[in-house]
Amino acid sequence: MQTKERNKLFQELIEQHKGILFKVARTYCQNEEDRQDLVQEIMIQLWKSFHRYNDKFKISTWMYRISINVAISFYRKNLVRQGNTFALNEQVNEIQYDEKSEKEQQLNLLERFINELKEFDKALMLLYLEDKSQAEISDILGISVGNVGTKVGRIKDKLKQRFSQYNI
Amino acid sequence: MEEKTLKKLWQTSNEKLEETFILNRKNTEDITKLKVQSFLSSMKPLKIFTILVGLIWVGLGGVIIINLFIFAYSKFSLFFLYSAGIQLLLTAIALVIYIYQLILIHQVDISEPVLATQGKLASLKSSTLLVARILFLQLPVWTTFYLSKSIFENGQTILHLVQGIVTLLFTYIAIWLFFSIKYENKDKKWFKLIFHGKEWTPIIKSMELCREIEEFKQDN
Repeated sequence: MQTKERNKLFQELIEQHKGILFKVARTYCQNEEDRQDLVQEIMIQLWKSFHRYNDKFKISTWMYRISINVAISFYRKNLVRQGNTFALNEQVNEIQYDEKSEKEQQLNLLERFINELKEFDKALMLLYLEDKSQAEISDILGISVGNVGTKVGRIKDKLKQRFSQYNI
Repeated sequence: MEEKTLKKLWQTSNEKLEETFILNRKNTEDITKLKVQSFLSSMKPLKIFTILVGLIWVGLGGVIIINLFIFAYSKFSLFFLYSAGIQLLLTAIALVIYIYQLILIHQVDISEPVLATQGKLASLKSSTLLVARILFLQLPVWTTFYLSKSIFENGQTILHLVQGIVTLLFTYIAIWLFFSIKYENKDKKWFKLIFHGKEWTPIIKSMELCREIEEFKQDN
């Protein structure tokens, strides 16, 4: 494939699937600046791996794999810094809690629950909320379909329990 | 909250999020102009410096010691020759492992399934501890390289005794560290004392990640 053609194809790919990048960044980073940095880093890694793309996998599976892999490494690098900023964000959320609409409150809670999860559970939660099939989740994460089923079930229970604590 | 409501809530918020994110065409275009980084250019200067110093030390030292072994074996103290030889050999082994691991880390395919990739990265990073274990094995030779035949012939018994105790102690510490430096001991005081600082934190974290991956895989 010619360089120009390849560049164009990549740009179109990013344009079509940019949602994946944003969602992964949102799941792993709390503050805006970190999210932008992570999206940038994911794009660089997608570009570097683009020549190796194997079309036996769905393009979204390939993109999720790279995005989550980059996010986990990025998240671990920034863990200390994020820890400090999260404490502040949480306080701000508490203060504004009453003033927000019900929907926003629910969303706030959901984000907080996701943030409490470990790296791999975060990925699982994201893919579950994205309505991915258990087979695709298994392909992306590299665990058995049965294991995905068990874990998704547990996450659902956990979510229900957490929301019920707030009478939602 | 119902599953459907929850997923809908997530989807709606995503739409909002996409509006706030800045991702213009120029950004993507700039990225396509990036050349894939070489192994060396993607490394931090400190790592390159460490590797260069190691190569010079092993290279120069190796040439000198090999020449001394071949051409001046009888003229030099055997303590010095063998101590220096062992030191250089262990440093060379550690250096080769270190460079090999760095190359492997940079070659990991991040489009593989998440757990496989993270597992490979974490175990490669954490195996850097092997380099430290090997380097600690040289401790005893730092207590023997200055010895000579004349010290044993003319020295006092007390000095011989002190020398013997020190060498034995260093040998014991080196072997003990070689076998004790492992994940299970990461919370011990001595471990934290040796492996504190910016360079070691990611390696210790990688060891934790290896455990998390195993738990995640087995948790069925």
